[in-house]
Amino acid sequence: MFSTQLAIQVVEKLVPAAGEGRGFSFPPINTILRWKDVVPGINKVVIIAILSALIGTVLFLVASMKDARKAPKGARNLAEIIVEFIEKNIIMETMGKSGMGWTPFLLTMFVFIYLCNLPGIIPFIQMPATARMGIPAFMALLVWVVFNATGIKHQGLFGYFKNVLFPPGVPKALYILVTPIELISTLVVRPFSLAVRLFANMLAGHLLLVIFALLSQSLIQAETMRVFLIPIGVLPFGLLIFLTAFEILVAFLQAYIFTVLTAVYIGGATHPEH
Amino acid sequence: MRVHVTTLQGDLVEVRVSSEEGTTSGEATTAAETTGPNPISPEGKELIWGAGSFLVFLVIMRVFLFPKLKKGMDARYNGIREDFEQADATRTAAKTDVSKYEAALAEVRAEAAARVDKARQTLDQERSAKIAEANARIASKRAAADAEISAARLAVRDQVAAAVASVTERTTQLAVGKSPDAGVVQKAVQQVMQTGARS
Repeated sequence: MFSTQLAIQVVEKLVPAAGEGRGFSFPPINTILRWKDVVPGINKVVIIAILSALIGTVLFLVASMKDARKAPKGARNLAEIIVEFIEKNIIMETMGKSGMGWTPFLLTMFVFIYLCNLPGIIPFIQMPATARMGIPAFMALLVWVVFNATGIKHQGLFGYFKNVLFPPGVPKALYILVTPIELISTLVVRPFSLAVRLFANMLAGHLLLVIFALLSQSLIQAETMRVFLIPIGVLPFGLLIFLTAFEILVAFLQAYIFTVLTAVYIGGATHPEH
Repeated sequence: MRVHVTTLQGDLVEVRVSSEEGTTSGEATTAAETTGPNPISPEGKELIWGAGSFLVFLVIMRVFLFPKLKKGMDARYNGIREDFEQADATRTAAKTDVSKYEAALAEVRAEAAARVDKARQTLDQERSAKIAEANARIASKRAAADAEISAARLAVRDQVAAAVASVTERTTQLAVGKSPDAGVVQKAVQQVMQTGARS
């Protein structure tokens, strides 16, 4: 009862203040996600995407220019760690040794997505480029084209669609159920789920950070009941710091999941018996 | 602006904020958001620039950077592998040398032990012979000494017997007034000395 009354009092103080431009107010979603053009046709998300490609290129350029005979250090060490991570933890686990030819594609994909995710926690940038649907949608579409093209190349058009619609090893009676499921799963759900998973996770993380940042600010800068509200403001601020650290993990995890699923789809299209 | 707080049995149920004109801020915000573009829909420029950035990055990586990096990695790994193989070969050769050395050492030790045993046997035989020879010499010397002692003892005995006979004759002459028969005295002395020697 007391806590409810207290909460009501806090809300009654904060909400009118928000209406007057003070206190807690959550801005319209488009003002958080849609960025104005810095120059015509280029906004913050575009700059992040370009910078991600540029930073990735510079990292691997610097790494490839170092003397390979010496023990790797700095950029070369980092680049080699990423390459080995992709080869051992993604390709060998999902596609086997025959999938090593896909290393450049999966490596580029992982680095690009990770670098697009990371600005979500970098101060003064604080916007993951993948929290907008454009990049995840393109990447998912590209993966869809790649794994279907790979399947057709390895099994032929008829063989690929035969194996997709009638998976080997499944009892024939189950094809009534499995075939439509596989059709929708492979051709529609896979790219959709890839794009939405990445986009939704990064968007949710971004919104959480915005909410806790705004809440911390409104409580710490409260104009009334300061003795009560400022100490409370420490709680969302602490959570904001925790969530920021958590977003580092999420940024890596989402890049990893996207890349692993891509490898699984390509591996499945190459070797349908698996 | 007014705040409408609805509670049910003390729990907070709803908070509504209304302006003086009667429009709630929630409604105003919703209206603003529905008139704006869908926040989920991708923007063309983000899609195009994102795609372009990735594809350029992919081409650069695929054609130039990754092959160069991988070539360097493979060269170093092969070098390390060769070094390992060379180290293994050296280790194997060293183990073989150690085995050969140990075999030779064992052979030499066995030969040395055989020689030592042989020398010890020879030494034992020589020592036994020397000891036997020394014992023989000691025995012959002991026999000679025993013979000398016996001879000396006999000589001394005759002298003692003569002295005792002389004393006995004189003592008898003084006591009886005439000299006893020398043969009887000597016989009696001989008997006494033999009896004394036995007792």
